[in-house]
Amino acid sequence: MIQMRVEADGPKHIRISGIHPVMLDCLHALPEILEQRDSPAARKRLLPDLTTTDANLNAEWQLAVAPELRHAFVAAGDTVARDLTGVTADGQLIFVAEHLNAWMSALNEARLILGEIFHITDADMETADFDVKTAKGLAIFRIHVLGWLLQLLVDREAGHAG
Amino acid sequence: MATAPGIIQIEETEADSALDVPWNVIVRNDPINLMTYVTMVFMRVFGYPHDRAQRHMLEVHHKGRSLVWSGGREQAEHYVHQLHSYQLMAHMEKSS
Repeated sequence: MIQMRVEADGPKHIRISGIHPVMLDCLHALPEILEQRDSPAARKRLLPDLTTTDANLNAEWQLAVAPELRHAFVAAGDTVARDLTGVTADGQLIFVAEHLNAWMSALNEARLILGEIFHITDADMETADFDVKTAKGLAIFRIHVLGWLLQLLVDREAGHAG
Repeated sequence: MATAPGIIQIEETEADSALDVPWNVIVRNDPINLMTYVTMVFMRVFGYPHDRAQRHMLEVHHKGRSLVWSGGREQAEHYVHQLHSYQLMAHMEKSS
C-alpha cells in the first residue's frame, strides 16, 4: 500500500509523495469547491464579524477587512491550483516551501466551505457511515481526505517549528 | 453639580470608560477545523507555547469557546484579524 508522505525536498521545497488517486481526485476538485466561497453560508463562515453584538463595528469590519481576507484566500487557492499542475503520474508533487501556508489555507478553506454548504455537524464528522453517492456523503468524504493532507502539512510545520 | 471655586471637575464620560474596559478575544468551536491546526494557529498568532495553545484548543473543543487573549481594543482587533485569516471563528467582546 502506498503511504502518502510530506517531507522536505532540499532546503526550499516540499515534496508530497504517494498521492493516492482518490486524494488526487479531491485535490483536483479544490478549485471547484473554492469557487463556492461567495455562497452566503460560506461567506458568513469565512468572513465573520468582529463582534457578536455591535452592528456598527461589524459594518466597518466587513468594509475594511473582509475584502482583504477574501483576496488572500483567493491568492492561496490560485497558488495551490498552479502547484497542482506539477503532479507526476506516480503521485508525486514538489512545491516551494513558501507555498506551505497557501496550501494549508486552501485545504482548510475548502473543508470549511463544504462543511457550511452541506451543514456538516460534529455527528457527521464522527460517523464512518456516509454514502459517497450522495452530495453530502461525498462532501464529508472530501472533508476527511483533504483533512488527511492538511494534518500531514500541520505535522510537518509542527516538527519544523519544534 | 456644584464645585468648589478653583477646582475643575472632569466628568468621566461613557466613551472614556469604554476605552478602559479590556476586550476579550474569543474563539468558538466548529466541527471542521482540525485540533492540531487550531493549536498551531494559537502558537503562531499569540506566540503561545504548545501546552498553552493546546489547552485553549481543548477548551474550544469541549466547552465551545475559549477566551484566548484579553487587553486593549486595537490589539484585540489585530488578533481577531489574524485568527480570521486562519479561518478560525473568532470575535472580540468587552470584558464584563
